[in-house]
Formats: sequence, C-alpha cells, structure tokens
Amino acid sequence: MKDLTGEDKWTKKKNIARQLDWCLVGFAILGGVLVMLPLLALLNITFSQIADIPYLLEIATQKQVINAILLTFAAGLVAVFILLIFGTPLAYVLARTHSRANQVIESIIDLPLVLPHTVAGLMVYILFMQRGLIGAPFKQLGIVFEDAFPGIVVAMIFVSTPFYVNSVREGFQKVPVHMENVARTLGATRFRAFLLIVLPSSIRHILNGSILAWGRGISEFAAIIMIAYYPMVISTLIYYDFTTGGIKESTAVAFVMIVVCLGVFLVLRTLTRFVGRYDDRV
Amino acid sequence: MIEFDHVTISLGDFLLDNVSLTIRNGDFYFIMGPSGAGKTIILEAIAGLHEPDKGKILYDGRDVRGIAPEKRRIGLVYQDFSLFPHMTVEKNIAFGMRMRRLQKFEIRAQVKELMERFEITHLSARAPLTLSGGEQQRVAIARALAINPEYLLLDEPLSALDPITREHFIDELRSLHRDQGLTIVQVTHDRRDAAILGTRMAMIINGRLIQEDRVATIFSSPEMDQVARFIGYENIYTGEIISCENSLCTVDLGKVRVFVVANVHRGDQVSICIRADEITLHSLDGVKSSAQNTFKGIVASLVISGALATVEVDIGIKVSAIITAKSAEELVIEPGRPVGLSFKATAVHVMQASAFPAHSPEPGSH
Repeated sequence: MKDLTGEDKWTKKKNIARQLDWCLVGFAILGGVLVMLPLLALLNITFSQIADIPYLLEIATQKQVINAILLTFAAGLVAVFILLIFGTPLAYVLARTHSRANQVIESIIDLPLVLPHTVAGLMVYILFMQRGLIGAPFKQLGIVFEDAFPGIVVAMIFVSTPFYVNSVREGFQKVPVHMENVARTLGATRFRAFLLIVLPSSIRHILNGSILAWGRGISEFAAIIMIAYYPMVISTLIYYDFTTGGIKESTAVAFVMIVVCLGVFLVLRTLTRFVGRYDDRV
Repeated sequence: MIEFDHVTISLGDFLLDNVSLTIRNGDFYFIMGPSGAGKTIILEAIAGLHEPDKGKILYDGRDVRGIAPEKRRIGLVYQDFSLFPHMTVEKNIAFGMRMRRLQKFEIRAQVKELMERFEITHLSARAPLTLSGGEQQRVAIARALAINPEYLLLDEPLSALDPITREHFIDELRSLHRDQGLTIVQVTHDRRDAAILGTRMAMIINGRLIQEDRVATIFSSPEMDQVARFIGYENIYTGEIISCENSLCTVDLGKVRVFVVANVHRGDQVSICIRADEITLHSLDGVKSSAQNTFKGIVASLVISGALATVEVDIGIKVSAIITAKSAEELVIEPGRPVGLSFKATAVHVMQASAFPAHSPEPGSH
C-alpha cells in the first residue's frame, strides 16, 4: 500500500531505520538501564501504596510525619543558607587562585564524598558534642548540637558542602577574569565587582549548587543520627518505623517523602530553568 | 604620559623582564609581539591589575604603585569585549558612571549621547550576547569611554571582526585618536593594525622589550631578526662580516656571500633581512645591473595570488621574491627552471644577531 508520498510501508520503515542515529540509540538503551532502576523502584512502591489509599492518607497526615518532613526541609534550608554565606566566598577563592594549597583544600572539601557517612557522622559528633572542640564553646553560649536542631544542620552542612562548593566554584571559573578586570577599571572595587558581576553571572551554578546541597542534606541519615537522633528527621523516622512498625508503615512514610521531594524538586527545577540565561536566542 | 621604568612582573612561570617604555600623551601606541609575549600583562599593569615586582610605573612622573584600578581613569577593552551578560547594553554603558556615583540624570544623558555616537541606540535594551561582534565592540568602546578615561587600552580589539566591521572600526579608532586627542594603547600581533593606526610602538618578545620607537622607524629599521620576522620581512639570514671597505661589507651566509651597506666590522655576527619586493628576478642572458648582489638560482616554488607572484629561488639559500604575475609569465618562471636574482646592497638591512633565551609562555591574564 502506498501513501501520499508514493512510498509503501516497507520503504518508509527502511528510510526511518536508515535515518536513525544508531550510536545514540545504543547509548540511550544503555543509559535507560540507569533510569529504569529508580523508576521501577518508584512504580513498585507507588502501586503498593495506592492499593491502600486510606492507610496512606492516615500515615501522611500523622503529626510526626508532617513534623519530620518540615524539620528536614527547614534544616536543609538553614544548611544551604549557611553554605551560601561561607561556601560562596570559599568557592570564589578556589576559582580565582592557583595555589598548590588549593589541591589540599579541595581534597578536604571532597572528603565527605568518599567517607562512609557513619564516619562523617562520627567526625561531626566528636567536633560538636558538648565536650567537643566546637561543641564546648557553643554550649557556653547556650547552643547544644547533640539531639538538637543545630546538630542536624551541621551534619547536613558536612555532607553537602562538596556539592555546593564544587558547583559554585565551577560557575565562578566560567566567569572570565576579564569581566572583573573591566568592572574594576570602570570604578568597581574587587568586592563590588564580585557582587555586581561575578555573582549574577554565576547565578545558575549557585542555584544548582543550592538545590544539590539541599537535596543531599535532606537525604542524609547516618551522619544525622550520630549527633541528633532526636528530633527525628524524615530519614530517621523511616528507619524508626521500619525497625518498630515494619515494612508497611515505613514504606508509607517513605512514599510520602518521595512524593513531596519529587514535587519540590520539579517546582525548583522549573522555576530556575530560565534564571541566569542571558542570551534570548537560546 | 605613562612610563615603565625597568618593570619586572612575574606571574607563575611567566616573567615580564625589565621593561622600560614611554607612552606619550596623544600617542596611538602599539604593543606588538607574538602570542604569549607578555603584551596583555603590560596593558593590565597599566590598568593597575598587576603590580610590578621590581621597577616603577609612572603616570605623568607619579609612581602609581598601590593605586587600585578603580582609582585610575583607564578604559579597558578586551578582545572578547567582556560585556556583562546579565545587563542590557544601556546598563553596561552606564556601569562605570554608576560606580562613580554620578547623578541619574547625568548618567542617562551621557549614555544617550554615547549610544547615539556609536549608533547603538536601537540596541539599548538588548542583552550583550545577542549582539553581533561589531555591535558588541561598539558597546564595549562606549562603556570604556563613558568614564572619560585618560587612556584607552585595547587588547587585540580587531582580531575577532569580519573585514568590513574591522575597516569601520579602524575609522572609529582613528577618529577617537585624531579628533579627540585620546591616548590609546593597543595590543596586537597584527602588524597591519600598527602600520595603519600607530604613532609609536614597542616590540615585546618572550617578556622582553626588544625595540621601542616610531612605527615607521621600526618597520624600516628593525633592530633584531625577531622583530624583522614579526613585521613581515620575508628573507632573514644570519652570518658573519668577512670584509668591509667604506661601509660596503660582505656577509658570509655559509653558502652565499652578500654585499651590504652598514656600519659594522669584520668578524661581527649579524642578521640581515631583505624584503621580498626588493628582489629582482631576471633571465640568465647577462643583464647588466647596478645591483651588487647578483646570483643564479633554481626556482623552488611559485605561488600566484592575483596580480602578484611569490617566487622562492634557491641560490644556495632560499630567497623569496615578489614580482608581478605578468613578469613571472614573461620570464617563464616555473619550479625547477634556472633564473637570475639580484638585489641592491642598500636593500639589505643589517641587524645585530639576537641571542634571546626563550621564556616560558605567558599565562592567561589574571
């Protein structure tokens, strides 16, 4: 049978096959395996949960679940805020200097990426416990980290620092030094050149680093329970439910967390999609 | 007037080594040299972005060490124009005036005037990255001029432009220099820019100042073979003076000997250079000539480009000659054929042989 172009079905199929980029198709199949794994897990958990919606709603509306989610998100936000204040200058120094010390500093920053999170938690605990090097003086000021909100925040900062600093440093490195030089000859001090030229030019990387750091922070478990088992963040609550209430209860809480996180990340990615794009042809 | 007084700046593995130069008010001063020579570092040092490790940089006789770039009135335009991508054209131009805390109405008026002058008013609300190279360049110049700079520093501003935009921009620069008397310092590795626009120039090679003089003087009398090569001499050789009589000397180039007119002495090691258009080719049937240097050779190659032909002749050494394509045809110039070649002793420029150790390449500007 021939269509309007005069080609029969088989010729048309052959042409499509010829036009396909088989290299890309192969890569897509290989990469698809990686996408399939979480997708499969997600579908698996979704089907099991929507089978019993009343139970899911009961769990989702539990005060301790809502509190744990809010606490996790709030601690993550505070951690990102602190990273913005301390991590941004560090990223700028690393981007603009070429000292041998940079390699050492970068290795220290990346340490949480390679350490088991229990080790990270232990390091945080030793430093911030009430007798710790930092914990002790803070205790004098009335701030305690053990089993407290600040403890959750420092654990989150510890594990998310490399995600933030590396992303922002990369952004700063992409801003040509020439732009800062020109800004300075035009009358801007180094700080103003940073503030008015470098920061806005790197806004995408800063946002990206913040989202990654926040995501990493709220997903942390091991490092957090070492210093602050209570108040329970969502990961601790899921673990607690798993060990005390069984798989059904913990899966329901986990599903709520998945839905909320997916929603938040989708909104963030959509909102930041057009931020920092300066070429309106793109 | 800007003076470099024995300025040494080291940046990583690169060394700007003991450079002394003088940029007079009203100059269109060119800093020329190959890539990695240290030209941009000189420009940035003028702007205050690098401090000398040794020596002084003087503005009208005053040492400017410690004066931050934002305190100097310098307009700087890089090859990539470095427009701020998150600001519109208008805001880019206004940036310097905002930093200098001018009144809003003053800023508006001056931005308007500059945009009209550079014919970019219609682009005022555009983002810089949506502009063409020529448009970006006009914005960059307008932004630099908005602060009424004492000196305008240009880092290879013509290299990224298409030929038509380039011509247009050369006219604009000429007008800025001549009509407004602005002192302009331009970095380039393109000798055409210097020949067209420059009043004075410095040749920088491997972080060292090789020669500083009027543009015309450097083009006619390079002091070293590296300079000669850079400004376009096609035939450059090194040899030894073996005899001299009333300034007519003979240079031994190994396989050939060349007569030159120069104030040198027997035993001197020299470099000589001859422009390709000073070389005459002729048939081998005994033409009499006043030229002291006459050779027989074999045509090694022939490249015809429009009305001109570049012929390489092997006379023991390879010599390039530029003749008309018509002459090449009449003389039946073809690779492998014998040909006569001559040039005057006065057409040979004699220089001291250079012996510069190579420095490490210049790092990216910091």
